[in-house]
Formats: sequence, structure tokens, C-alpha cells
Amino acid sequence: MLKGVHQKLEPQQTPAFFVHGASPFSRMVLFCALSITLMAVDAKLNYLSQVRQAFIGGLHPIERIADIPSEFIRDASRYFSVHNELVQENYILKQQAFEHAIKLQRLNTLQVENDHLRSLLGGVIPIHPKAILGDISHTGRDPFRNVVIINRGSRHNIQAGQAVVDAKGVLGQVTRVYPFSSEVTLITDKNLSIPVQVERNQLRAIAFGQSGNTLDIPYLPTNVDIKIGDKLVTSGIDGIYPAGLAVATVTKIDQDPKSPFAKIISTPTAKVSHHLQLLILELPESKEAQIPLPDTDNALQKPTEQEVQPNAHP
Amino acid sequence: MRTPSLLFVYGTLLVALVFQLFPWSSKGVIARPDFMLVVLLYWFFRAPHLCNIGTAWIAGALVDLATGSLLGQHALAFTLIAYLAISFQRRLVLFNAFQLLFFTFGLLTLNRLTILILKLFSGNELPNLHYFWPVITGVILLQVMQFALGKITQPTSNKAD
Repeated sequence: MLKGVHQKLEPQQTPAFFVHGASPFSRMVLFCALSITLMAVDAKLNYLSQVRQAFIGGLHPIERIADIPSEFIRDASRYFSVHNELVQENYILKQQAFEHAIKLQRLNTLQVENDHLRSLLGGVIPIHPKAILGDISHTGRDPFRNVVIINRGSRHNIQAGQAVVDAKGVLGQVTRVYPFSSEVTLITDKNLSIPVQVERNQLRAIAFGQSGNTLDIPYLPTNVDIKIGDKLVTSGIDGIYPAGLAVATVTKIDQDPKSPFAKIISTPTAKVSHHLQLLILELPESKEAQIPLPDTDNALQKPTEQEVQPNAHP
Repeated sequence: MRTPSLLFVYGTLLVALVFQLFPWSSKGVIARPDFMLVVLLYWFFRAPHLCNIGTAWIAGALVDLATGSLLGQHALAFTLIAYLAISFQRRLVLFNAFQLLFFTFGLLTLNRLTILILKLFSGNELPNLHYFWPVITGVILLQVMQFALGKITQPTSNKAD
């Protein structure tokens, strides 16, 4: 009888005063335990990367809808950009293309000469990686991480671990691949490190990402030969970043004689916030394709070299 | 004020997810409210029989998946907030608008703090105070939602009769 009365009362009028089922406290405990388990599984085991991939793939249509307003604003502002500006830009670009064409002529000759010399010396000819052009769709949604999302994914044969560059220098590395997009961790991210070489004196080191959009080069002696304004380029010893790409410029050196190490801060040359296009370089085919460097005298053997590709090939 | 349908509740949650996915530019991302949590809070207060701790957990897990953070961080924070919100839900009719405002302010701050602690544990750096901007925008968003979808605090029986 009582049950019947209860059923009649069931369709509630707002505000609902009596919530049925398990008590809020027991529900809270259950779901807290579930989330802690999830966190542990996600952090320590790699079971969930496929779930994430599938979810992001399914989310693609919604993401496209969410992207519409900003794309519209971008297109509209492009449409209204003044004619003068375009003419000026075209002029500058033509000039640049002309300068580059002249440099390229020399480069081709030098390349042939270099290959010839290398073959004479019995060295391995470095392979120039192929690249895929991508667009930045948005910066990451997690404010704690230095990532950008690009519009190329596993459907475009992107793999985790690939290096990403722009016209000015190295941007970072692909860390997560989704079907239609992938996540690029920038070199300024705390978890990423990149083997570099000082362009002036070929000194090799490893640069670590630091907060505030800078790179830090730790573990170099106080009397190290690095000056403000020195250009850091990739050394290529990791086999992921091709050698000779610009990475950063040294902006601050703190050589305290009391400390065993110099504090060297550098600013990346790549400008993430300034443009939308970037290149995703192909991973080297095999271990043999890694570029051996001729001079190994001042090679810095570091235990941290494994960290160069944090999430590559989990 | 009619009882909202379950479909409507889930619809608003989906819209919140889309808003969460908007490509916010670097300036906007500082002040972006936690859309999902604010919409959840609204429904916890108004219709806890349709939107409860389980819904909060699933919504949190979806936010984690979509934003690429460690799976379970938002889920845990949302679960805790849902528990607090729902245990105070019956008292809400006695609250006036200001008390409700402070209550949501506290809940949103607690959410940010929980996520901050979890992020620090998983090896992130301490952010600056900009990190708490979404609390303020979130409170404003809840006022907007009350304006658009109906008030929370007013006891309906007084108004209807």
C-alpha cells in the first residue's frame, strides 16, 4: 500500500527536496575512488591512450563547430585587410624569395660539393627529412602545459615523436596523435629537452624547457665559452631533430664563481604566437639514418639524453 | 518554473562542453570560466534528481579527455564539488541571492584549488594568481544562467500560488 502512495508522489515538483538512491556521501566516496584509480592508470600505464584517441576522434565534429566563430573572425579580418598592406607584403616576399633563390643556387653547389667530400672521406651522407605542412588550430586547453594543437593527425601519417619546426626554428615535438589532430609540445615545456650545439664553437649541450617561455641549459661549467647572443642550433645526435636547425638565442648568463655551474637562459627563435603554419618533419627511417657527427671530441655525454623524447613510442 | 526535462539538462551540458572546447586565444583563456562546472552547479541546485554526483563525475572525465589533462583530475574535483553542492542543496531555498553568490564563489575556488593540488602532484609548476580568474567569471556566468533559465533561490510554491 505504502509503495503505491510513494509511486504517486514520484513525479517531483521543483525544487526536488528528496534525492533517492545512495546517500551523497557514499556516492562521493565511490566516485572519488574511481577518479583516483583513473588518474593512477592514466599516469603510470598506457592503457588509456587509445580511449583518448577514440574520444578525440569522435569529438572532431564538435571541435569543428567550436572552431567556426574564430575561423570566421580570422577570415573576415583577412578579407578586410587593406590593399596597401598586401602590396607591401608581396613586395617584401618577392625580395625575400629573390635573396633566397641566390642563396639556394650557392647551396646546391655546396651540397653537391659536401656530398662529394663526404663520400671521399667515407662518411655517411645525411638524409634530409621529408616534411608535412600543418596549421595550428589552437593552443592547448590545459593552461598548465605548453602545447599547441595542429590539424594533422594519424590520418595524415603523423607519429608521436616527430619534430615540428617553423620558418624561424624548432617549435617542439609531436607528443599525442589523434585521428584528425595532434598535440605538439613546445620546446619551452618543462618536460621537453632538446640537444643543442652552440653555432659559434660547436659546443654541445642539452636545453631544457623552462617556465616563462625560455630554455635553460644546466650542468655547464662556470667558465664555459658561451656569450649573450650566441645562437643555439640542433646538434642532431638524438636522431629526431635534423642537425643545424635554429633553436634559441642566449639572452642571459649568470656566471657565479661560487656555483659549479653557469646559469644560461635562452629564448626560442621560433615564434608560436606569430603565425599559423608549421612543418612536421618525418622521423628517420631507422637507427642507421641517424646522422653521425664528424667531431666527437667535446661530446657531452649526459645521462639525461633519454629524456629527449618523453612520450615518443610509448 | 517547470521541472526541466533530462534531455534539456544533458543538452545544456553538451553546450557547456562545446564552450569548453572553443579555441580561446591567449588572453581569453585566462578568464575562461569552467563552463562545465558552472552548468553542473546550476543543475545541482535546481534539479538534483536529474544531475547528481555521477553526472558530475562523467562530465569531469569528459573535460579531462577533451582538454588532454590527466584523466580523473577534473572528475575528482567535480565529484567533491558536487558532494558539497548537493549536501547544501536543501538549504538553498533559505539563501538570498548574495549568499548563493558567495556559496558558488567558494565552490568554484575550491574546484580550482583541488585541480591545482592535483596538477602540482603530477609535476606541474605553480601558476600565478591569474589562475583564479575563472572563479569570478564563473560566478558571473551562473548569474547569467539564472537570468536565462530561471532562478535557483526563489521557492517556487510561493511564486506559483
